[in-house]
Amino acid sequence: MRNTGTDAREWDGEMTMNAIETSNLTKYYDALCAVDDLTLSINNEIFALLGPNGSGKTTTVLMLTTLLHPTKGSATVCGNDILRNAEEVRSCISYVPQDMAVDIKLTGRENVRFFADLYGVENAKDRVDEVLAVMELTDRADDLIKTYSGGMRRRLELAQALVHEPSVLFLDEPTIGLDVAARKKIWEHIRNLRKKGMTIFVTTHYMDEADQFCDRVGIISKGRIAALGSPSELKARLMKDVITVRIEGECTPPHIEGVIFVGRTGDEVSFTAENGSEALPVLADTLARSGAAIRAMFLREPTLDDVFLQAVGQQEEPHGFEDAKFRIMLRRRK
Amino acid sequence: MKGIFTYMKRDFLKWYRGRVAVVSALVMPAAWLIFVGLALPVKFTGNYLDFITPGILVMTMLSAGLSGGALLMFDKILGFLNKFLALPTPRSSILVGKILFITGRGLIQTTIILVIALMIGATLMSPLQYLLTYFVLFLFGVLISAFATTIALYLDDHDSYSAFSTMISMPLFFTSSALMPYDVMPAWLATLARLNPLSFAIDAVREIGAGIIPSLSVILLVTISAVILGICMSVFRRVTI
Repeated sequence: MRNTGTDAREWDGEMTMNAIETSNLTKYYDALCAVDDLTLSINNEIFALLGPNGSGKTTTVLMLTTLLHPTKGSATVCGNDILRNAEEVRSCISYVPQDMAVDIKLTGRENVRFFADLYGVENAKDRVDEVLAVMELTDRADDLIKTYSGGMRRRLELAQALVHEPSVLFLDEPTIGLDVAARKKIWEHIRNLRKKGMTIFVTTHYMDEADQFCDRVGIISKGRIAALGSPSELKARLMKDVITVRIEGECTPPHIEGVIFVGRTGDEVSFTAENGSEALPVLADTLARSGAAIRAMFLREPTLDDVFLQAVGQQEEPHGFEDAKFRIMLRRRK
Repeated sequence: MKGIFTYMKRDFLKWYRGRVAVVSALVMPAAWLIFVGLALPVKFTGNYLDFITPGILVMTMLSAGLSGGALLMFDKILGFLNKFLALPTPRSSILVGKILFITGRGLIQTTIILVIALMIGATLMSPLQYLLTYFVLFLFGVLISAFATTIALYLDDHDSYSAFSTMISMPLFFTSSALMPYDVMPAWLATLARLNPLSFAIDAVREIGAGIIPSLSVILLVTISAVILGICMSVFRRVTI
């Protein structure tokens, strides 16, 4: 059930600029709707699809990487239709699934060389050395993967994915199961790739990571996008930052753009601001100039968790364990 | 073409580095050769070892092929297959790489079985006869490994795969002409044996040993291998997970 020919042509004409375009992308597993009418445009950014387990993140990635056919709707990656030009799609992307699949009986270099050969990379030997160096694995390149830590294995997978210089990189839960330091390192590498102009599509269920490292976030719940925008935008849309100032003596509420006086209780004066971190020093200066003695200032920023709760609502545990649904999901995720 | 070689090389490297499996896969056919080939009191032939050796060679190839299907199962369970399917490399080269590795590994194992057979008293053949024997075993290897790999693509987990392979290996072996000639079999068994692709390969190897060019068996084997290979390749090209 694809779009009609005319639709597809218009689509190609308008949208070749964006790295990823989806239009009403929908996937049913029998009666279970995994992805519901997804329309997205993603280009030259780190885009995170954020959602709980089973919300349709992986299914979306599988469709965009041509491993799964959509039930309805269409998508293009680098201007190539995922159904009609699957092979072209595959030659401009790399996909790192969440399973961490590297051959433990081979060395790091052999693992990367294997992918370089599969991609038919020219000057494979130099290119392999290069990506190993980028991922800081040169020292250990000739050790068997058996001896690698989880973080190193993940970096090796990134090296494999980068060996043919893809325009779009799909990462499914790139930091799952890694310790804090390894996570940070992976994200630093991802950020560097983005600086070089790569489009990176990640799925994650770690709100803090998405908040910290991604340019734009789509919160997905039950296969539908519930909120879409940059993390700061989403948080700003949800609620303003709250600033509380503890003051000694009198205080006349100052007029600063973007800062709203809320009220005073005892010696605590409260404001809300569009952007709290920026408003904080301005507010401190203005208050000080007006003669108030500031003892302390507090800023509480809303987090993506707040956004998520607002957008999706409290995640209720299903009453009965839906065995059949669960098995369908499991089977499809293999 | 390059993809095929790369996939095959990966499997050979992994096999070579996990040496236990290299030996363990040979124990079963060697046991058959020695304990059945040397011990069974049969009256239809003077040298039962020469009679049963083609059967054991084909059996070695059969078990190499069936256990080779598990390679794809593991690639699938461990997430390698998803990575491979997202590559621009033609998907059918995943299958052909596996076929060449599994068949190649099977040929190495059958060579060892041939050597053991010679050491315990089988008749030495001419180089041409060995060459033809390898050709027949190769054809049979392609058939069984294409089939096993494609079945593994469709089964859910390793348990179902090993159940499948146990389920078909013994009946296939016992309903073939491996252990006795058609004329000493009960009629119902002889009918089954004549339809069994294992028998095509076994009869071919046996005819080669007797100095006959096994044209009919080879034609049958080529035809059936080509058909199965064609089906399996188109399955791999269209696969989604």
